[in-house]
Amino acid sequence: MSGIGIWRCAACKIAVFPQRLLCPHCHGDRFEPDRVFEGVVEEVSVIRHMIGQTDWTPRRIANVRTAGGPSITVGLRDESGPGTVIKLFEEEGAPYGRGKT
Amino acid sequence: MQSAAIIGVGQSAYVRHPQPGQSVHGFIRDAVVAALKDAQVDARDVQGMAVASFSLAPDTAVDLAWKLGLSLRWLLQDTNGGSSAMNMLGHAVRGVESSTADVILVVGGDATGLAGYGRIASNYNIATRDHLAPLGHGGPNGVYALVASRQMKAYGLEKSDYGHIAIAQRAWAAKNPFAVYRAPLTMEEYLAAPMVADPLSRFDCVPVVAGAQAIVLAHPDRAPRGRASVRVRAHRASFNYDNQEGDGLQTGMSTFASELWQAAGVAPADVDVASIYDDYPTMVLAQLDDLGMIPDHDLARFCRRDIGEKRRAINTWGGMLSAGQPGGPAGGLNGISEAVLQLQHRAGDRQVKDARLAVATGYGMTMYRYGGTAAAAILERAE
Repeated sequence: MSGIGIWRCAACKIAVFPQRLLCPHCHGDRFEPDRVFEGVVEEVSVIRHMIGQTDWTPRRIANVRTAGGPSITVGLRDESGPGTVIKLFEEEGAPYGRGKT
Repeated sequence: MQSAAIIGVGQSAYVRHPQPGQSVHGFIRDAVVAALKDAQVDARDVQGMAVASFSLAPDTAVDLAWKLGLSLRWLLQDTNGGSSAMNMLGHAVRGVESSTADVILVVGGDATGLAGYGRIASNYNIATRDHLAPLGHGGPNGVYALVASRQMKAYGLEKSDYGHIAIAQRAWAAKNPFAVYRAPLTMEEYLAAPMVADPLSRFDCVPVVAGAQAIVLAHPDRAPRGRASVRVRAHRASFNYDNQEGDGLQTGMSTFASELWQAAGVAPADVDVASIYDDYPTMVLAQLDDLGMIPDHDLARFCRRDIGEKRRAINTWGGMLSAGQPGGPAGGLNGISEAVLQLQHRAGDRQVKDARLAVATGYGMTMYRYGGTAAAAILERAE
C-alpha cells in the first residue's frame, strides 16, 4: 500500500507515529488518519545478526524524517543511503521504503 | 523521618547459557540469600521487597514473596527495564524513611536464554511488536545502531572512540570473578570484531546472561559491625521525557541532572566512582554528558583521554558489556551494588582508593526510537 499511515491531531494538526491516546502537544483526544508518502533517510543500519536466530539474512533498516511528519523507522528495500529521498509504503502493515525511480 | 541506607549486596552466579532446569527463581533465590548474608539480616526481619524481572511471569512479586517465605508489609514490582533498579531504590529509600518497612530487599534477575530474550525483544511493547519487529530490526541492537550513527555524526566520534569504553571496562572485568568476559581486549580485537548492526559490532552490544542481583536497605544502624553503610544523598527519575520526538542523544537525565547535583550538594567532579548503565557505549556517553560529566560536551576527547588514559573510574565491575546483563532490571542493580562495594572499600583488586562518593544510573525501556526511562542517584559512604 502506498504511503505510511500516520495520525494527525484534529485540534493542533501535529502528526504522530505510532498512534497515541492523547496528542502529546495539546492533549486533544481526536486524531484523523493521514498518510506520508516520502521521507529523507537520516541513518541506516544493516542488521546482520538476530538474537536467538542462527539462520538469518541481513536486512537494512533506516531512520526516516518524513515531510511535515514524524521520524519513522522503516525497512529499506534497496541500497538507499543517508540523504536520499525515498518513497514510503506498507507491507502487511509494517513501514518500508525504497529510493524513488 | 528515619534514615535509610544500603547495608548489604549479593548476587547469583552469571551464566551465558542457562541449562535446562535453571530458572530465574533459582538465580533470584541465590542473590537474595547472598544479600541477606552480606547484610547479616535474618529473612524473618525483611518487611518489604521490590522485584523486577522480564522472566518471572506468570509469577508476580507476591508469588516470589511466597516462594521465599517472606511475609511483607511493603511490596513493589517494577516494569521500567534498565531503570527499574534505580526506580526501586528510590521507592525503597522512601519506604524505610517513612517506617513503612524497616528492612527492604530489592531484587532483580532474569534467565531468558537467548531465544527467550529474542522473543522479549520483539514484543517489548505494542509499537515494537507492530512497527519494528516485522522489519527484522534486531531488537535493541537495531534501535541503538541508529542512535549510535546519529551520535557519531553529531559529535564527530570514530568507531575506536567507543572501543575505549569497551576496552577499559574489560580491564575492570578482569578483576571481577563474577564477570562472564574477563580476557583483556585490545583495540585491534575491538575493531576487527564482526558487525552485529552497523555501526555496532560484537563488543558494543551487551551480552545477555542469566543471573540475579539483590541489595538490602534498612536504617544505617543495622549495617554489619565495622562496615560503613551507604546513603542515598539524592535520587531523581524521568519517564517519557520527550514523547520520542527527539534524537535520543539526550536521555531523561537531561531533565533532572542539575537538580540531582544540587539536591546532593556535590558536583560531577566530586564523584570517585560512576556506575553508568551500559547496554551500549553510545548510551554511556549520552548519560555522562547529560549528567555534566563530560567537559565541554566533547565526547571524543572524553573517550580518548578520560577513558582511554584511565583517568575516570567508570563501571568498575566491568559493566554489563563485560560482566553480562542479567536482564535490564538486574543489570541496573549490578551498577548500584558495585558502587556500594566501592564506597564500603570492599571491591578487592578493583578498589578505587578512598572512594567516598558515587553516581549510579539506570536507563531503558526502548519504546520506539530510544529509551524512555532514566534515573540516577548520588551515593555516599556514611561513617
